[in-house]
Amino acid sequence: MQVGISAIEYVLGSDTVSVDELEARGMLDSPAVRLSEFGFSCARLSRESSNTLATAATSKLLGTTGVDRTSIDALFYAGATPSCHAVVTPDPLSAFNYPVAQLQYELELTHATAFGVSQVGCLGLMASVALAKDFLLSSESASRALCVSADVLPAGCRREMIYNVISDGACAVLLEKECGRNRILAYRQVTKGYYWNSIAQKNEITAAYFPTARNIVRDTLADANLDSSDISCILPHNVSLRSWEILLGLIQIGREKLFAENIAKMAHVIAADNWINLRDAAETGRLHHGDKLLLFTFGFGANWACMVLEH
Amino acid sequence: MAHTVLVTGATGMIGQALVPLLARRNDVRAIFALTHTREYMASSYKVTPVRSDLTAGPDLGVTPEFGREILDRTTAIVHAAANTRFSASLEEARAVNLEGTKNLLAFASHCPRLKAFAALSTVHVAGKRTGTICEEDLDHTSGFVNSYEQSKYEAELLLRESMSALPISVLRLSTVLGSTTGEVRRMAAIHYALRLYYNSLAPMIPGKQDSLVDLIAVDYAAGAVEHFAVEDFLAGRTFHICGGENALTLARLLELTREAFLRYRPSWRKRAIEMPAIVDLPTFELFARSVEEVGDHILRSSVAIIKHFVPQLVYSKIFSDVECARSLQAKGFLKPSVLEFYPQVVRWLVESSWGEHGTQAGGAGA
Repeated sequence: MQVGISAIEYVLGSDTVSVDELEARGMLDSPAVRLSEFGFSCARLSRESSNTLATAATSKLLGTTGVDRTSIDALFYAGATPSCHAVVTPDPLSAFNYPVAQLQYELELTHATAFGVSQVGCLGLMASVALAKDFLLSSESASRALCVSADVLPAGCRREMIYNVISDGACAVLLEKECGRNRILAYRQVTKGYYWNSIAQKNEITAAYFPTARNIVRDTLADANLDSSDISCILPHNVSLRSWEILLGLIQIGREKLFAENIAKMAHVIAADNWINLRDAAETGRLHHGDKLLLFTFGFGANWACMVLEH
Repeated sequence: MAHTVLVTGATGMIGQALVPLLARRNDVRAIFALTHTREYMASSYKVTPVRSDLTAGPDLGVTPEFGREILDRTTAIVHAAANTRFSASLEEARAVNLEGTKNLLAFASHCPRLKAFAALSTVHVAGKRTGTICEEDLDHTSGFVNSYEQSKYEAELLLRESMSALPISVLRLSTVLGSTTGEVRRMAAIHYALRLYYNSLAPMIPGKQDSLVDLIAVDYAAGAVEHFAVEDFLAGRTFHICGGENALTLARLLELTREAFLRYRPSWRKRAIEMPAIVDLPTFELFARSVEEVGDHILRSSVAIIKHFVPQLVYSKIFSDVECARSLQAKGFLKPSVLEFYPQVVRWLVESSWGEHGTQAGGAGA
């Protein structure tokens, strides 16, 4: 039994703001010129809430695929920030106003069992896809699962995290049994709780990032019975190009295999990057049938995740 | 023959271990222990501390009367003083390592009874050379990783030029780690690098899995220096006091380090800190440049510690110590196993928090 990814859609924050403008607004820690050198040109800022973007991305996917909404058996909702997991009002009870339930209701996904995936930072959507695959494989009757991520940072907040420019956006990913496209070959996720304090351990996290990333990529490739030379394309999380160039040196994969086109124009859309990049790489004809694709991401917490797909 | 020995760098890593060894010898009558900045506690009635400055000129910054006495009495010189700071500018390194040596040679040329001038150097005068480095090798155009290597290379050229006029031998040491009991009296770059790994601040090391890391114990090094300076001095010769064929590969060294961290600080396990990745030099340099551009001071300091000496591992080489080993073995002086003393040093570092508080791990002095 195989599970593949049959469709992806996304929406980004409507306001495109250059790194120079972000700097002028006091929304960066590093100089704009430095972040430009690291591959960023702008961020996408949303005036809408995260659940509004989630609804928009999911509606778009349901519309373009025409999939029967009642055939969706599970709905996984990922968000890196706590505010993305509740539609909050001053009433304490609103902490239980879950956007995944709202999404299930508004989009008439009436047969979908709903789950929230949180506390894994920017790998929420990749973890959701892995969980959705396991869900489908564990249930004979289930055939489709939908994974959605949405993150919108508070208005006016800083838009740089450890030398990366952050954007708002949402992404929806449809998984299906017996789907030949984007078949999931292997997945690994590593959590290192020692680095749970993202502020106090910023330096240690930066240092741990590279060797841990190298190891999880190596191990995931081994799980898929592949080596780095088998990979046709890397679909990155849109952190700085500089950090990707360093990581490519560690994993011994050439720069030409990195799909980096979205880093400048979209920046880091928190949990959605890898999947946005998968969609756009396919859309632009970069991917071919049978290509082996490597997806890697990191989330505060600290979590590292890697997935290998066959296109 | 009775010796009166002048030791420069008496408070340095080797000097501290060497002076007591010399003082124990019946054939050593007196020791002039030259120090630059620190107060010196003489360990024997034979030892006379002498405040000096090798960069001051041929009088070494010693008063004329005292200088005259040293000149008249000295029969052997052990030149152990050096600026070993890898991040020093070339100008700073040359001031001590080259000009200081030049001044000492000028001083030595006025010692009427001088029979031996043992100059300590480093195996890393080989710089970026690769392959097997023999003890008599010196000239090369491969370049250097840091100012220490280059200035010591230049000093060796000077020493070789002077061999026709003075009884000089060169003793090249590899990286001196600590004693065979584990104690580290003076922290050096390698100890700070180990602390970075322990604290999850060492993401990568330039080199190859099989790059050799040549480490020696300080007691072995000091004993070998004693041997070649007073026991079996051979003018015009160069010896490698190093691990030689016993050198560890970089991969093995990292494994041993991890094993020692886990054994001597079991709670370290729960941090799940990865071993530093072994990477090529361009990857390391890109990371180092990025940290220098944007990292905060802790990360920048961490990279600075590593980048001035670890890139030597990219230039894989093995130091032959055939002549040194032959001479030492003839006297029954055996090289300690790095597999035995390295974990003890890591243990001492962990248990003393890198020398910040006492430990029971070490032997002498602990």
